[in-house]
Amino acid sequence: MSATLESLVHRYLDGTITADEMRRLNSLLQANREARREFAEWLNLDSALAMAAADWFPTEMKAAPVRAGEEESRRLVWLRWLAAAACVALCITGVWWWQAAQRTLATVTKSVGAGELAQGAAMRRETRVIGSGAVELVTARGVRLVIEAPAEFRLESAQRLRVLRGRLSADVPPTAKGFTVVTPSGDAVDLGTRFGVDVSASGAAEVHVFQGEVIAKASGSPTEQSLRGGDAVAMKSGMSTVRELRTAAFIQSGEMGELGAALTAGQRARAEAVQAKLRADPALIALLDFESGESQASAFRTVQGRWPGSRASEFVNVGDHLKLDVGGDREWPQLTLAAWVRLDQLGAPYQSLLHTDGWDNQRPGQVHWMVTKLTTMRLALRGNTLAPGSDEQEMFPDSKTSVLPDQGRWVHLATVYDSEAKTVRFYLNGRFDKETRQAIAHPARLGPARIGNWDRQDRKLSGRVDELLLLGRAMGDAEVRAVFEAGNPYR
Amino acid sequence: MSPAENEVHNRFLRLFTAHEPAVRAFVRRLVPMRADADDVMQDVSVVLWEKFGSFREGADFRAWAFGVARFEVLSWLRDRGRDRLVLDGEVALKLADESAELETRLTRQREALEACIEKVPAEQRELLMQAYQPAASIQQVAQGSGRSVPGFYQWLHRMRRALLDCIQRTLTQNPTT
Repeated sequence: MSATLESLVHRYLDGTITADEMRRLNSLLQANREARREFAEWLNLDSALAMAAADWFPTEMKAAPVRAGEEESRRLVWLRWLAAAACVALCITGVWWWQAAQRTLATVTKSVGAGELAQGAAMRRETRVIGSGAVELVTARGVRLVIEAPAEFRLESAQRLRVLRGRLSADVPPTAKGFTVVTPSGDAVDLGTRFGVDVSASGAAEVHVFQGEVIAKASGSPTEQSLRGGDAVAMKSGMSTVRELRTAAFIQSGEMGELGAALTAGQRARAEAVQAKLRADPALIALLDFESGESQASAFRTVQGRWPGSRASEFVNVGDHLKLDVGGDREWPQLTLAAWVRLDQLGAPYQSLLHTDGWDNQRPGQVHWMVTKLTTMRLALRGNTLAPGSDEQEMFPDSKTSVLPDQGRWVHLATVYDSEAKTVRFYLNGRFDKETRQAIAHPARLGPARIGNWDRQDRKLSGRVDELLLLGRAMGDAEVRAVFEAGNPYR
Repeated sequence: MSPAENEVHNRFLRLFTAHEPAVRAFVRRLVPMRADADDVMQDVSVVLWEKFGSFREGADFRAWAFGVARFEVLSWLRDRGRDRLVLDGEVALKLADESAELETRLTRQREALEACIEKVPAEQRELLMQAYQPAASIQQVAQGSGRSVPGFYQWLHRMRRALLDCIQRTLTQNPTT
């Protein structure tokens, strides 16, 4: 009976079953529970085969990764070739390849300032480029991807994403285990987890695992590497090297809604209006926004800032820094320092926000602004001392609250120094945090300085700095709050 | 969409995408062709989204979706299946309920297929995947492979048999994976 059932099922699946045979199949299934189970398994196999076929990519396409710019000409050549080809087999391949290219592999669920990809857009097997902003996609299997500009990428199947450049964070549910990110210098295969991939313009790629497990394989390398939560590697020319985890380098899915809402609400225009006002402030010493026209002899990357297409500096490697020489040799009785930063976890005891060069007895009042191993913000001035009874754990004024939130997000840090009132005041995201009193309080001194490091000893900052303000007067609480509120990229 | 609606939509998308393969396979077991399953799935996904308001958070989404899909398939069989060769309504009803109970086993079978496909020689795998492309023409695939259409069907039947054997073997050897 089973053999009869099997051949009937095949003909049913093929669509070649006759009316007579269908009646027989129906009566077999009606009569016998075991036959129904067998039938369910055959149909289930058919589903699984269709799913595998949807994710499948023909071998010749796999072997020839498409490089940036090549695709259009490749497609033209391909079509012309097709038209001319007499070979039937090739025609069939072309036809189904074209059909496969029409399938929706993922949907854009959020678009923040990425004009090329609107919310709701269907992602097919095609190369997409975003010049600014970020997009969130959900694949057919439920992988949530956030891709940040500038980026060029292509979904090859619902389970395979090729990234030519750009940054992405991926949140992969168990149903999509095996989701693979292919880069010019290696692959990352997910085993059910959250991770980030950063592909630079040169094609070098970094894989950062936030949670779970990822298999990383550098192109041309015979060995694979298992990465666990907290691990990171850089892949280049067939080699993998261990890196420090940089969670803040990747926009996570949770941020996208807030970033989009702020942009829609016109936050960017508000931020620009406040910037313009600050630029006209007679006490302005410097306002760095990292947009064009500032070429410092420095070592840092330029990446996207808080707004789509805007720029920020990013410090990744030990020694990365930005040189600055402002404020001259004069004394500043009052000084306000503020910056929008996106920090990674602390790898070193100190991370530099702004360090004037050296630490010299002959230059009392020189400024060192940093994040400490206690994850507080510190403002140290050479020669200053704490007032008696202060509760600081070390010898310098520190904020009370940690500056590092659980996940890398944009935060606004500010400190206001007043040598006449002998106070240092700290602000986190516009909120007054704490005031520290000083016994000796020299006027502040600036001059040659570094952002993101110190010239004497490495005090690497790990993360992005966007909009750094130095103002030669003391801002009040309301003013700091207003600067934060106008510049906040979240809503 | 308001932020609240957006949040609901995201929650729906997360659940739907996670369970879509199982729901699709459930529908597939009850209709004759894969294209029919695609048809029904379109309606099912719309109804699921429309009725998502009545889905209790924390409840079993798959079971709920199976219920919706069962109703949609049966009405599809009644309406559009009239002039087609399809399963009898009563058979479909039994299959729907029994195969929902078998779902854990069937999910494992679907998962096991991946490794079994890997064991198929590359050339044959290529051909199999071509035959299973959406809207593939068996006539064209058969011609391309140098086989007659009946010969190609014979080959396809043998492939399915071999794959189902491999799947069943895999699950007997590894009952927990």
